[in-house]
Amino acid sequence: MTELLTAVSIMFIVAGPFLLVANRFDLPTVPLLVLAGIVAGFGLDAFGIDEELTLELAQYGIALLVFAFGVDIDLSAVRTVIVDSEIAALAQVLVVGSLGVAFGVALGVPIEEAAFLGIAAALSSTMVGTALLRTEIATNLVRGRLARSIHFSQDLLAILLLLGLGAGTLAVGPIATLVGYGLALLAVAVLVNRYLFDAIGRLADDSAELMILGAVSLLAVFVGAAEYAGISIAVGAFAAGLAVRHDPVEYLGLFNGLESIKDFFVAIFFLTIGALVVLPFPFLPYVEIGWTESVEKLLLAGGLVLLTVVVKPAITTATLIYRGYEARSATLASLSSDQVSEFALIIAIEALILGLLTQSVFDAIILAAAVTMVVSSLTQRYDERIYRTLADRGVLSANHERIDTLSDVPRELSDHVVIVGYGRHGRKLIEACEEDNQPYVVIENDPVRRETVVAECDAFVFGDAMERYTWEKANVDDARIVVSTVDSDPVSRRLLSFEFDADLTLRANDRTIALELLEAGALYVSQSDLLAGQQLVTQIESVLDGERTPAELRDEQLAELESHSQATS
Amino acid sequence: MISEVALTVDFAIILLGATLAGFIAKQTGQPTIIAYILAGVVLGPAALGLVGASELTELLSELGLAFLLFLLGIKMRLDDIQHVLSPIVKISLPQMLLVFIAGAGLSLVLGFGLLESFLIGLAVMYSSTAVVIKMLTDKDEATSLHGKIDVGVLLVQDVVVVIILAVLAAGRPESLGEVATTLGVVLVLVALVTVAAVGASQTVLPVVFRRIADNKEVFFLIAISWAFLFVFVSDNINLFLAPLGIEAYLSIEMGAFMAGLAIAQLPYSKELQDRVNPLTDLFVMVFFVSVALDLEASQLLAYWQEAIVAALVLMPVKFLVFFYLLDWQGFDTETTFLGSINMIQVSEFGIIVAAVAFEGGFIDAEVLGFMTLLAIFTMAVSVYFIEFSHPLFERFEPTLSRWTSDGTFEGGKREYRNHAIVIGYDDVTRNALPLLADRYEDVVVVDRSVEHVEALEAEGYDAIYGDFRNATIRKDAAVKKADFALSSSVEPTVNKALLREVGDDATVFVEAERVEDARELYDRGAHCVIMTAHLAGERLADYLRAYLAEDERLESLMDGDVELLASSDPFPDTYEQLGGGLDD
Repeated sequence: MTELLTAVSIMFIVAGPFLLVANRFDLPTVPLLVLAGIVAGFGLDAFGIDEELTLELAQYGIALLVFAFGVDIDLSAVRTVIVDSEIAALAQVLVVGSLGVAFGVALGVPIEEAAFLGIAAALSSTMVGTALLRTEIATNLVRGRLARSIHFSQDLLAILLLLGLGAGTLAVGPIATLVGYGLALLAVAVLVNRYLFDAIGRLADDSAELMILGAVSLLAVFVGAAEYAGISIAVGAFAAGLAVRHDPVEYLGLFNGLESIKDFFVAIFFLTIGALVVLPFPFLPYVEIGWTESVEKLLLAGGLVLLTVVVKPAITTATLIYRGYEARSATLASLSSDQVSEFALIIAIEALILGLLTQSVFDAIILAAAVTMVVSSLTQRYDERIYRTLADRGVLSANHERIDTLSDVPRELSDHVVIVGYGRHGRKLIEACEEDNQPYVVIENDPVRRETVVAECDAFVFGDAMERYTWEKANVDDARIVVSTVDSDPVSRRLLSFEFDADLTLRANDRTIALELLEAGALYVSQSDLLAGQQLVTQIESVLDGERTPAELRDEQLAELESHSQATS
Repeated sequence: MISEVALTVDFAIILLGATLAGFIAKQTGQPTIIAYILAGVVLGPAALGLVGASELTELLSELGLAFLLFLLGIKMRLDDIQHVLSPIVKISLPQMLLVFIAGAGLSLVLGFGLLESFLIGLAVMYSSTAVVIKMLTDKDEATSLHGKIDVGVLLVQDVVVVIILAVLAAGRPESLGEVATTLGVVLVLVALVTVAAVGASQTVLPVVFRRIADNKEVFFLIAISWAFLFVFVSDNINLFLAPLGIEAYLSIEMGAFMAGLAIAQLPYSKELQDRVNPLTDLFVMVFFVSVALDLEASQLLAYWQEAIVAALVLMPVKFLVFFYLLDWQGFDTETTFLGSINMIQVSEFGIIVAAVAFEGGFIDAEVLGFMTLLAIFTMAVSVYFIEFSHPLFERFEPTLSRWTSDGTFEGGKREYRNHAIVIGYDDVTRNALPLLADRYEDVVVVDRSVEHVEALEAEGYDAIYGDFRNATIRKDAAVKKADFALSSSVEPTVNKALLREVGDDATVFVEAERVEDARELYDRGAHCVIMTAHLAGERLADYLRAYLAEDERLESLMDGDVELLASSDPFPDTYEQLGGGLDD
């Protein structure tokens, strides 16, 4: 067995228990893999194996990580982010980044290295941040969408930074050339995707094995081309990802296979990063480090943690509020960005390899990343409480004037229906009210929906349903019924806690939560699955009993679908 | 400080060369293994000399064998192989002895020395794990009866290889007693590893894997970690035994197989197969390419004529030996034929045995070259026999059955047909299950959550744990043969995959979140697309209308909904009461 196999074995064996911990406490895997790597580093030392041995495998991990980002990238989202001018969120990157640089310089780190501290402080992790926000994104809540586009624009920025990094210098000349090479690579990728990929698919003739080999070969070619041109391999990998983008249905075997390969090598990448860290604790075995250096490293890491966990969310919140989002969505979205990005880790390791970064700054960045990723999952878990505490202390002052200017509620509104959320459900409810000439008020908080709300609704309050003032504004005291279409447990419970005189109906996704809400006093809780289940059984029965042929059912359903979509559009 | 790390060009060249060769092979109808081996010969020092063995390729090819055996282990459910254990032992031991005699005798005839002939005999006894298992997996025959026999025999051979390697690695033995000790130690170790693996599969693993099974990434990485634990222990067994003053050797393949075997006994192994398979494919490719990377052309070709003669003699001999032994054990003609034709090649272990013997000073580099060439040649030829084993059998069946006794051995399993498939168990589908169970003999539910699978199995449904996007899972559920399919997944990929695979006559119900998705699913042949959110929105609006109109029926309707919501029965037998709504 080669030394390399021993090294990989040790890393994965150590990773096992750490992953169990991650699973038990619902933590993201990335920081625990890094921590496992730190521990595995001692095992490698015990076996007399050089940590750098796995560096080459780690590079494949980087390549595959970026490759997968390229494969999954939603190109239409790039457009939305730019059009949505959420690019403004990048202003926050600049501010936090500069603070990071300043902090490094203040501690005596040369400015070239401090730049990497700035990058680490400014960029947040998609893998951690959006993984934690899965449900919020799936249910299309404002903060989920916000968090995703913040992370997404930062990822794109990271790719650009990596492109610049290959030069090993920040001079203008080479960077322009490199950007040229990078763009050329991307152009080739698009051409491959358009003209070559399907041909490869045809030649592979449904063999997942060959498709995977083909895709990995493409990756190798692009990475090789990037290396040859002197730009970061990450850029080559990203381009290769773009080249392989495809609707996964036709190539399920390929995309599942790539995911396995990615998971394997990415784990090696994070483990290697951990193994490369020299802990700032001189009393540990195999740690050769002086006390002064230790203190410096701890200071750097600590400062970086503070910047990431406290300063960054604060600045992001401020930016978002300034952009017109209400305080709660802004705070919650910002809290999802309070960690160091995995891309910052890639940038750090590339910089270390290029000799642009000294060991202690590198270690500080990695340690800070591991710590912030764990902390982030905690702040995520208690985000509502954090927001409430801040709001109650008056840190985030509710801006009543703002709600007043944005809202339009007739003065003597009474016996009305209050509808929370102007999504698909909200729209149907309003149709029902309008048929009946029943007065209503819509409560909505998403700036993106603002124009539609203004155009289509007679009365609306533009504010957060969690805030008492919003309800005052909607004159809930004289309302007949409150119908919430927001599928969010905290919102539902908050509405119950207001104890309105009016009847209250809520929405829930989960059966047990629905029952709890009913128990807590809701008049009715709409649970989508229940209805779907009912309809399903009726339809299936009609087909199985031969009342309708499957083809008849299909025509019927299709006709109904068309009539619905016309009615709603 | 860290030096600049560039990715090895070697690996990229191997990858590209193998991919190119693989595609050509696919287009010309050749097996990919041949393509990989030839790519290695062409790229390696024997021809172009573009690449040599490097640390990375060595690692990946080691991982290739380890993962191949791990994957094989994952597929081996003990319940399924118990009944073939005894014939396997009765076949493999005489087979090795007979092939050893044939190999050694042949070598003497070809002019090799006595010691050389003895070692060549030892080296040709085994059939190739890599070739046979890869081909069986590709043809989806690893768990067929002949597949199980072959795999079992290969594993027994593996144990023997390990023992022989251990003896050879110890250098020239001083006495027979020393050989016996080494043999004893290795057998004890193999037994220990087996006990550890089987023990873990009864105790720790079910608990651990039940907890992590719902987390796709953690599940996969922990399984890998488990495999590496066995690989590491097997490989470093010396380290653990050194304090006891014992020197021993275990192959990492053996460790990996045992690790897989332990997981196979859990209900989650299917899902893992599909996760491990792609990594195995990639690494095994490197293994096959690197078979020919170690040798110069002159060494490889020194005994080329002898190698060809040996190959032409040994392949029929191996076939006949296997054929006779399998028939003797009472397998039917087809199993006997297929099981034998798969095993006619010389193993990569033959090369390893020769390499160790070369390092120990027992043989020359040219003899190692002879073994390598013999292995490559027989592997390449045998691949064609395996590929076309079924047509060959049909061609020769009348002749063969005159020579064979009647099969007495039973095997095989039932497959689904005209059944109902339900993807995802949730509040939507749970209502439909009793109805489907009423009308269909088999209802198969595919679900990604352990809890659901357990609940379903307790209720008597066939449940498959896994992601529907994985090919093995789809095959297991026999999607192609289903008469009815219902998916409660809102992921368009899952539903499109379902629609792609079902037969033309099947009725398909799927779910969608957005109107555009629904439209596309109808386009692709869905009969009914349930749109949960839309339905709920409409119902809510209806209720609001009733509320505003102070309709009396509203209260009882809402009560009905709540009652349904509150019913804790996971399989409500009340589907006949469902329906409702204000339109009726």
